[in-house]
Amino acid sequence: MLEELRRNGSRAVLAAIAALMIAAVGHADRAVKKYEQHSKNRERPSHVSAKPVTLEPPSDAIVLFDGEDLSKWTSTEGDEAPFVVKEDYMEVNPDKGDIMTKKNVGDCQLHVEWASPKPAHGTGQDRGNSGVFFGVPGKTPSYYEVQILNNYENKTYADGMAGAIYGQYPPLKNACRPPGKWQSFDITYRRPRFDGDGNVKKPATLTVFHNGVLVQHNEALTGPTAHKKRPPYKPHGKLPIMLQDHDNPVKFRNVWVRPIEESKR
Amino acid sequence: MSRKNGVLNHWGRALLAISALSMLGALGVRAGRNPTEHKIHDKERPHPPAVEARPTLTEPPSDAIVLFDGESLSEWESMDGSEPGWKVEDGNIVIELGTGHIRTKRRFGDCQLHIEWATKDPLGDKKYPGNSGVFFGPYEVQVLANHGEDNRIYADGMAGAIYGQYPPLANACREPGAWQSFDIIYRRPRFDEGGNLEKPATMTVFHNGVLVQDCETLTGPTAHERRPAYKPHGKVHIRLQEHSCVLHFRNIWARPLEAGKR
Repeated sequence: MLEELRRNGSRAVLAAIAALMIAAVGHADRAVKKYEQHSKNRERPSHVSAKPVTLEPPSDAIVLFDGEDLSKWTSTEGDEAPFVVKEDYMEVNPDKGDIMTKKNVGDCQLHVEWASPKPAHGTGQDRGNSGVFFGVPGKTPSYYEVQILNNYENKTYADGMAGAIYGQYPPLKNACRPPGKWQSFDITYRRPRFDGDGNVKKPATLTVFHNGVLVQHNEALTGPTAHKKRPPYKPHGKLPIMLQDHDNPVKFRNVWVRPIEESKR
Repeated sequence: MSRKNGVLNHWGRALLAISALSMLGALGVRAGRNPTEHKIHDKERPHPPAVEARPTLTEPPSDAIVLFDGESLSEWESMDGSEPGWKVEDGNIVIELGTGHIRTKRRFGDCQLHIEWATKDPLGDKKYPGNSGVFFGPYEVQVLANHGEDNRIYADGMAGAIYGQYPPLANACREPGAWQSFDIIYRRPRFDEGGNLEKPATMTVFHNGVLVQDCETLTGPTAHERRPAYKPHGKVHIRLQEHSCVLHFRNIWARPLEAGKR
């Protein structure tokens, strides 16, 4: 490596820095490229029973859904949001489409509560599937999903479990509650940074608590999350938050976000 | 990293220096957050904005080690290993002034800690009321009564500060007497066999559910008016500080994080 450094000079140094950055941000045994995507053999985390964190929005939070209406949301085409508001929650309207926030966010802290359909239908990835996205597949250059699934008593591949950074990082624990029970995600999202030429200066990172249990800790994303591929980053700034329609009537409530000062990155 | 006869050549040293820099960069020393850009306890360092928030009152998950459930101090000892001098009253731990700090009998490496606290000093009695701290070995998350626009204390000494290094991102302190929560992720530093720092300690802190430290990289142990260098260590006691102020604590639990998952 040192000989190569002498020969290739700054390019090799840059590559070394990038590798060290991922090493420094990531954790041993979490090295995402060690595993084939969606591998059925990747170790599944053990189960933990836990109650959701049901936090009231702090005074500086932007309330995205307080049980009343979908005024902060649209369809991914910019039309009326296709989810249905019932009682004090909103529900996926299967096959009617995803919803996204009208407001774009950069670095932020997001709280969202969700519940899987009861009784549960389907198996594997077809059981209570949805997702919390930063970005919108097909609409924004990049998109990053924290997976929602009913894997309470339902086996699926590790990087597709609830709390997974989809296709990249399995949750540290399976903190899933039974179908019908409310569950919480508390997510810290740091958007990636790009230089003037569109090269990644800093990868996106996500920290996730599922029902108060740490399941992702400052993990550095390889790029957008996707099914059966790990696409490279494409430059972007702030993005909408999206809740996914994956044909399952998943419920959501108490959704709020606190932007984190961008200068503090 | 290549070594020849156990000695790094200058390319190796240069790479180590680059890696240390990029570690700090990647690990969370963000623009405007770099503690080395600020004198310790600098009165001019900006105070974060005040936020009103409620504590997280989470029950211990099934894999947590319950350190205090309202009953007894059986998980705790004084600093010399004897019975702790603090008391249990009405389901809370109460600081007994003059008896010193208490610490967990167990030692912890990487972990997630939940703790609730309430300051009980009479108002106006002290310059900095409600002073205490949650320590992982030599690393302190500050506990203090500095609700709202109370900016008497220097920024890196506010509640939720990594003391002397990182002010909280927001002042989420509640009014004196109210229960407050900390949810802390502590990643211990790693050292090589020669005792050299491989990875600094990091801390993530939510104060009343508000993110106040996001995986910040510690410069070394926290201290008053100095920033000492790291000294090698493994797992450490969690310590609650007696700092001449009366506070109550309750609902304390920790979840060790898998060592391999660093």
